[in-house]
Amino acid sequence: MVFSFNDKLSEAFTVMKTESKIAENTPRHPLKDLILEVKNITKEVNSPEGLLTIVKDINLSVERGKPISLVGPSGSGKTTLLAIMAGLDIPTKGSVKLLGSNITLMNEDQRAQIRAKDVGFVFQSFHLMPRLSALDNVMLPLEIAGDPDAIEKSQIALDQVGLSSRAKNFATQLSGGEKQRVAIARAIVNKPKILFADEPTGNLDQKSSNAVTDLLFSINELINTTLVLVTHDLLLAEKCKDLYELSDGSLL
Amino acid sequence: MIKGFRYALNKFWPEALSGDLLILSLSIVLAVTSISSVSFLGDRLQTSMKLQASSILGADLVLRSASAIDPNYLELGVANNLDTAETITFLSMIITDEDNLLTSIKTTSESYPLKGELIIADFDGSLIQNSGSPPSGSVWIEPKIAETLSINNLTEISIGNKTFKVDGIIKDFPDRNSSFVGFYPIAIVNINDVSQMGVIQTGSRVIYRNMFSGSKRNLDNFVNDIGEIPADIRLQQADDVGDELGEALRESVTFFNLASLFTVIISVISAMMAVRRYASRNLLHASLMKVFGASKLFILGHQIMQLLLIIFFATLFGLLCGYALQSLIISALQGILTNELPAPSFKPIILGFITSIFVVLATASPYLKILSQTEPIRILRNDFSINISNNLIIYLVALVTMFIFLGILFQDIKLLSYILLVLIFVTAALFAIGKTLIYLLGSIKFSSGIGWKIGLKNIVNRGNESILQIIIFGLSLLFLIVLAETRTDLIDSWSETLEEDTPNYFLFNIQEYDLVNVTSYLLETANFSPSYTPLIRGRLLSAKRAGSDEFSSENLMEREANLTWQESLPKSNKISKGEWWNEESLEAEVSIDAEVADSMNLEIGDELLFSAGGSKFSATVTSFREIEWESFSPNFFFILSPSAGQKLPNSYITSIKISEQSDIMNLFTQRFPTITAVDLAAVIQQIRNTVSSASLAVQYIFLLTLIAGILALVASVFSNRDQRTKETAIMHAIGANRLIIFQSAAAEFFILGILSGFTAIIFAIVLSSIIFSQFLDLQYSPNLLILGLSFAIGVIFIFISGILSIRKTIYTSPIITLRDS
Repeated sequence: MVFSFNDKLSEAFTVMKTESKIAENTPRHPLKDLILEVKNITKEVNSPEGLLTIVKDINLSVERGKPISLVGPSGSGKTTLLAIMAGLDIPTKGSVKLLGSNITLMNEDQRAQIRAKDVGFVFQSFHLMPRLSALDNVMLPLEIAGDPDAIEKSQIALDQVGLSSRAKNFATQLSGGEKQRVAIARAIVNKPKILFADEPTGNLDQKSSNAVTDLLFSINELINTTLVLVTHDLLLAEKCKDLYELSDGSLL
Repeated sequence: MIKGFRYALNKFWPEALSGDLLILSLSIVLAVTSISSVSFLGDRLQTSMKLQASSILGADLVLRSASAIDPNYLELGVANNLDTAETITFLSMIITDEDNLLTSIKTTSESYPLKGELIIADFDGSLIQNSGSPPSGSVWIEPKIAETLSINNLTEISIGNKTFKVDGIIKDFPDRNSSFVGFYPIAIVNINDVSQMGVIQTGSRVIYRNMFSGSKRNLDNFVNDIGEIPADIRLQQADDVGDELGEALRESVTFFNLASLFTVIISVISAMMAVRRYASRNLLHASLMKVFGASKLFILGHQIMQLLLIIFFATLFGLLCGYALQSLIISALQGILTNELPAPSFKPIILGFITSIFVVLATASPYLKILSQTEPIRILRNDFSINISNNLIIYLVALVTMFIFLGILFQDIKLLSYILLVLIFVTAALFAIGKTLIYLLGSIKFSSGIGWKIGLKNIVNRGNESILQIIIFGLSLLFLIVLAETRTDLIDSWSETLEEDTPNYFLFNIQEYDLVNVTSYLLETANFSPSYTPLIRGRLLSAKRAGSDEFSSENLMEREANLTWQESLPKSNKISKGEWWNEESLEAEVSIDAEVADSMNLEIGDELLFSAGGSKFSATVTSFREIEWESFSPNFFFILSPSAGQKLPNSYITSIKISEQSDIMNLFTQRFPTITAVDLAAVIQQIRNTVSSASLAVQYIFLLTLIAGILALVASVFSNRDQRTKETAIMHAIGANRLIIFQSAAAEFFILGILSGFTAIIFAIVLSSIIFSQFLDLQYSPNLLILGLSFAIGVIFIFISGILSIRKTIYTSPIITLRDS
């Protein structure tokens, strides 16, 4: 009998729901310290087939220090939702309050300022600059912010991910796991209050995946950041306090 | 933005050496190298040509008149910090105890010559003097005089009332072509001896020349100060003697400009491709910076500073390479350059910087907008593509900027307009061809040949990318073909100027009764049958415009005019306006050299009054002629119709070709002492040197443009190399063997090469014919060999460089390629 990946995923989610680990589709703790608040978010785009709704009427909130994960099959709108929450994209409708500011009312440069100061990113494809060294890659956010201690801070971040010995290596000289660890060092180097990770283990083998997972959660505690995770990896998703499931652009 | 500047400064060297910026930098280096070397070379050669022109005049500026020139002009020259010199030249007999010879007596002041070299040797051939004038009472003579009159060292000769001691032989002097006396052997005496000779009388044929040299600024000030000069004084400057230097140099200067212009256009094309690749590869960087909080201004600042640094360093390096390259070329030319080349001016350095700024502005500025406005969401979408069709405005901006720059640089709106029109037509044609190709290939079902099928489908799938590549290949080939054709035809036409049978002697003063004897002597000794042209000594007195009663003498007064009469148009002449007369015409008509007519403001229908043989007569101007002076046939400013000239007293003139080694001419002068034989060997050698020099310079400059063209083709092939590399690796990974991958790339580049090459040839014929007819005065007929070779080499080059661009991928494990990409 052949199961598709989506069937397995769906089955797993059902189990998780019964264990009461599924977050509700509403902000449940309005009086708590919320770092991220998403209200009635809808994103529509034009396509050759007409208007396409990517995410629809999403509401969720994230408490400071409590990691959450977004799971769902491919094309369910996870990455689009992450982009909107992180201020990389703007919704067609609804609002996003990040660190107390309504970023949907801001222009691109204002959103960029928030990202520079308090937000970190880890991507599935690592997105390291191939012709820069590991250290130069980690320094990027600090240099954009004009931090005079960029080198020292970046060396510390590389040390935190266990790659201080590879600081001078170019991105192309690193393995997949090492690349992602450099990407994590880059994401945490400015000590972000919130860390968005888009399929951080998606391009890694099991061993590297485990190492990156451990690293992400230990970092979360070490620098007291809040992790927002988009993943297919159920083991990784289960490590989060709250878990949201997306299907066809809606939270289940 | 300041933060962006700082970031760019911090990151410049790692980024510059990282690869992406290196490609753009190299492109600018090559553009500046091409431009600056052409400019350095052109600048130095043009300065050298001006020096040669100055050498022909013997000065930078000359005031020349048939009557004594007011000495105030010389004083004004000194007041303007100019060096001055003076010559008075006239015809007189040199008389020895046994013989005499009509000679051109050139009297010079101490500072003669101001430009060029005077070489005086003793009778043993040792150099004794190279400037100034002989002491009063001494004379320097040309070898021909010594030979004819059997003169030895310190022989005494008489000129007019004064006796001179011969103490030098003239080996060379600069202003050889400065007067009518060029036809007679020369003797140089001190200007202070003029009055004692007493040969200048009223009505004597004398040429007075005041010579001036100095900086351009001082010369300009001097010209301003002298204001309007009397009609009988002619002002000659080095810039005006282009005709005397010959067409070859004028045309080579046109070619330098054309080559520079094409080099700039081709360099912009290659920079455009390099910038495009740089921009698409930097989209990830810019998007990532946006994700990490960089503002639009930060990214703009980063990009601008990066480009400014590239402009600075690449231009410096390009200038160094350009200078080194032109030095190599100059050293190759040294053997044939007649004089030391002057140091280059600062012009090429300024031009290098302006060029790189405009190349970057034209090509990179549109991408600054794209990079600074990139959406950070691209990072999550993994979308780092730049869509050409959305950015057509980029290329329009580039084109307009480029032509504004070229307009300022070359200041030749006519040439630029033609090139712009051809560019638009070629681009439109190549676009249409590309679209049609994609449509046709898209609708064809291929049944066999997997590799070829994939290659042809790739052309369709790449769509606008393929069209852009066809356009770039086509334009680069077009300019190279046009330049190759121009180069070849120019050099051919120059070599034809001095054919093997070009005459090397002029014979003057041949009287009617000598004709038969001269002909039989030349037939016997040299197997040469001369043809004779009548020579009538006369003066042009005045001119009358048709319908007007008054004769005007302005610009004409007392003008010497060597006249002839002819039934038919001489071979080396071409009618530029009006009509040649009917052989049986009874009207008194005259045909005039077009340039002389222009300088004298004459028009067809004007009536000219001449004096010759003691009588006055008038003739109507019925045609203007363009004269090919390099033919070395007897040519005349004024040719009369038979009815006007036949009855006037005349001698004859002819030009002959005699072997240099033979002593035929020595014997000739002994047998016909009254006939003057002028040896043209030195003049012909001077022209041969000029032609070889110009030809070689043209070859080297063409080579530079060729390198720029190759760079553009390579840049275009490599512009989508990343995409090809990835596709090749994927094909490799899913099972395509090397043969299939090779066939697919071969099919793609072969088709692109064939189409662009074919279109380039068609439009090259159009552009070449425009350039030949409008700018070079040459007859254009398509050079099938050049066209065919250019087509074949172009297609093969595109094909091979295309294959080489993916060669590494073919031999590398696909997983390594995909991981690195």
